[in-house]
Amino acid sequence: MRTWGSMEEFEAFLDAGGIVEVGDDMPHEYRQAVFAFIEMHANSELMGGLTERDWIPRTPGLRHKMSVLAKTQDEIGHGHLLYMVAADMGIKTRTEMLEDLFAGKSRFHNVFHYQAVTWGDQVAIAFLVDAAALASQQAVFKNCSYGPYRRILKRIISEEGFHMRLGEDRMMRIAEGTEAQRKLFQDSLDRWFWPALQLFGPDSKPNDKLLRWHIKSERNEVLRDKWVQKFVPMLHSYGFTIPDPDLRFDETTRKWVLGEIDWEPLKRTLANGGPDSTRRISEARDNYERSGWVREALAQ
Amino acid sequence: MTATTSLLDRCRQAIATVDDPEYPGVSIVDLGLVESLDVRGATATVGLIPTFSGCPALDMIANDVHRAVSQVDEISTVEVKWLSAPVWSVDRLAEGTQQQLAVDFTVAVQIGTGPVLCPRCGTATSHLSMFGPSRCRSVHRCESCREPVEVMRS
Repeated sequence: MRTWGSMEEFEAFLDAGGIVEVGDDMPHEYRQAVFAFIEMHANSELMGGLTERDWIPRTPGLRHKMSVLAKTQDEIGHGHLLYMVAADMGIKTRTEMLEDLFAGKSRFHNVFHYQAVTWGDQVAIAFLVDAAALASQQAVFKNCSYGPYRRILKRIISEEGFHMRLGEDRMMRIAEGTEAQRKLFQDSLDRWFWPALQLFGPDSKPNDKLLRWHIKSERNEVLRDKWVQKFVPMLHSYGFTIPDPDLRFDETTRKWVLGEIDWEPLKRTLANGGPDSTRRISEARDNYERSGWVREALAQ
Repeated sequence: MTATTSLLDRCRQAIATVDDPEYPGVSIVDLGLVESLDVRGATATVGLIPTFSGCPALDMIANDVHRAVSQVDEISTVEVKWLSAPVWSVDRLAEGTQQQLAVDFTVAVQIGTGPVLCPRCGTATSHLSMFGPSRCRSVHRCESCREPVEVMRS
């Protein structure tokens, strides 16, 4: 077990590229910050997996159905691994984390507070949201100072990269489809563009602890801008419209610039007050309660 | 490429450039997914076997193989097939692949019925759940360093 005399010493260790391991005597504030971050990631994988699962019977065609099945397995599996890593930090047990989630006391990503109504929504999620999630995970992985999380992320990222390829495949199929299919996707794009963009969060604060302690390695606004520069031209090239009347191309910087972002929806969703938060949370709780006998049987 | 490299070898080399979509840097050849390669005239036929039949990456891998072999000079037609036999097992992993999975992905391999060792510290792990993020992997836990370990198995 390693220990550090002061926060300054610990921060110098992190700045020099030091990696913290589970048995280390890390400062409490660091432990708390890393734990909260992983807990939210784990919750998001679980809630995302349940959303994906809802689509298994409704997915059009065997080929897409196989990909939805596999994605469900991936997300639940990621949640499983992440809850292990989070519980090891000694702040909450796995059961406590799940109970807090179902009681609406903890957070999960904004995008899982909305309902996916059509297959077009599922395509938009796989194409836009998965890419946003992947970009933020890559930025954490690049330089993450907490070893157990960094190693899990390496595998999660390669699997999410695979999801993104599935998303691109789905998007191209729908884009090259009939007018009705294109209209379906445009409607979904109108609903999902802003929530996907807000996954990155508002601009990072100058004194962001996650950045200072090398948990994250990139500022939110930088990641968000990269996503905009990639997806706006890509969606345009397929003939779709970005739901922002103020969107413009800046000839000097050669960049796409969005209109003002309304952060209210993000604040509401993260406080579990999003359009579909109540139903999502109660379904997750019912699901957990219904499967209690499996956990009991396995523990025998 | 020198003139002495045969067409068959060049096709083989092209297939070896295809990585598993979930393990970037690990070739499908090293994972033992390539069962056969047949070159007749300008036509190459590749026979692949999946780690498990419901694997969602089948189309993606077949497309990647198709693209890679199509780029070989003198090849004009490529056929890629998923075979239903033989069945894939961890015995098909190339030498060194187990090590690569351990170092790059902290993934262990279940060979036979012996204990699975932690890729980080070498201690025997304990089995936690039959399935992890994929149906070809289970989840173990290292009791010594506490690492959650995904285990590739047949």
